[in-house]
Amino acid sequence: MSRGGQSRTRLLLVILIVTSLFLVTLDLRGVQLLDNLKQGTQNVLSPFQRISNSALSPIKNFFSDLSLLGRSGSQIEKLEKENASLKLELLERANADVQLDQLKNILDLAGTAGYKIVNAKVISQGSYQSFAQTVTIGSGSNAGIAQNMTVLSEYGIAGIVKEVYPNSALIQLAIDPGFRIGVRIVNSQQIGFLSGRGERSAVLQLLDNSTDINEGDVLMSRGSIANRPFVPGVPVGYITTVDNSAGTIAQSATVRYYTDFSKLSVLAVVVGGPKSNPGDALVPQKPQPIPTPTVTVFVTPTPTPSN
Amino acid sequence: MSTRLIGISAVVFLSIFVIQESLVSQFRLPGGGFSILIIFALSWAIMSEREVAAVIGFTAGLLMDLSQSSSGPFGQWTLIMLLASYGISYLGYGDDNFFGGAIGVVFSIVLANLLLEVMFLISGPLLGVSIGSFSRIFFTLLGTSVWTLFITPIVLPLFAKLHKSIFQTGTLT
Repeated sequence: MSRGGQSRTRLLLVILIVTSLFLVTLDLRGVQLLDNLKQGTQNVLSPFQRISNSALSPIKNFFSDLSLLGRSGSQIEKLEKENASLKLELLERANADVQLDQLKNILDLAGTAGYKIVNAKVISQGSYQSFAQTVTIGSGSNAGIAQNMTVLSEYGIAGIVKEVYPNSALIQLAIDPGFRIGVRIVNSQQIGFLSGRGERSAVLQLLDNSTDINEGDVLMSRGSIANRPFVPGVPVGYITTVDNSAGTIAQSATVRYYTDFSKLSVLAVVVGGPKSNPGDALVPQKPQPIPTPTVTVFVTPTPTPSN
Repeated sequence: MSTRLIGISAVVFLSIFVIQESLVSQFRLPGGGFSILIIFALSWAIMSEREVAAVIGFTAGLLMDLSQSSSGPFGQWTLIMLLASYGISYLGYGDDNFFGGAIGVVFSIVLANLLLEVMFLISGPLLGVSIGSFSRIFFTLLGTSVWTLFITPIVLPLFAKLHKSIFQTGTLT
């Protein structure tokens, strides 16, 4: 490359680097223009996401099943085509059943606590490249959803509304490393903060260091002023390990969320909080132990032939 | 670059971005999955001159920042992709290139993908981005590298053909 070409390349590189840094600075200073750009992009993308979601949802987890279709012979081909269409219908039905189950459980949860909710399907998963844990739902400000509203799954807390667009919303999941929620322990009523760390377990830090916490203790959300971002009384998770290391300023523990974040297909956004605090009404029941059948084997010794 | 080239490249970039955001993002793949936009930008950068590669990286990063699931401040991915694309082009362009052959290109894309994730991790906390636990980061880095290694050989011939038909340069042997 000639000297002129090299200096032109360097100049271009410097200009682009300065532009990038300029954009970072603008964003950190909270310039509205960049938010509008993002919002415009999402408005354009959400119809594509919706179409892809409805087209792909029956087959997302069943590549292996579908790859076996279509082998040899006209009769077999015909039967296989029928079989494939029936399979697809069955998959769609199975998918709808799962969504229906999740929706029913969410409605039960919201109904018991008196939350006013808006249900929405998950239309897109967030990118892992940014180490963030987000999903996009197919309802937005047109359905009454606003920023910083609590989002529920069928088992409890799922996250909060981070960004809202007319027909979609970005949900920050509770496992996101930037997620924080105020919680209380059901039995002792101790309060603390729970922080996501990118996986289903989260870190609990208590404000009071004097009382004991135990494995299995259930955590509920504490609620925020005007119920935003968090409504009170939502099941969050249970303590799996307690950190008892000496010298720590605040007592901490590891918590497992009730929500299985790998299987989210329907979510509910709490658009109206309860008239009164539901307290412990939503504490999940402990699973009943299933009795294991005892198998008794009687062995009769065969008589040894006597000589 | 002529206006025609810029126009065609912009359409290709936007199409890849829409595929990433509406199709690839539908799947919650184990280990974190892959970004078709990153693979595309890096593969084009490796086949282009340095200044073209810088523009490719800048455009890809800008689109990644426009993605609603991008957690960092606007411009962070732009900067990282710009540097990564320029760097990979610096090492990869020309007859005496560092990589040599399609297999070398695949591994260089995987390595560059890993490095730009690490750059994001390093710059993230400085810009106020939470990045999660060490184990999660480790598995995400491992997972995205494996997925990139798996996907790149499949899409690279298509991206190379596209690049050749638009720029009339940059063949892989």
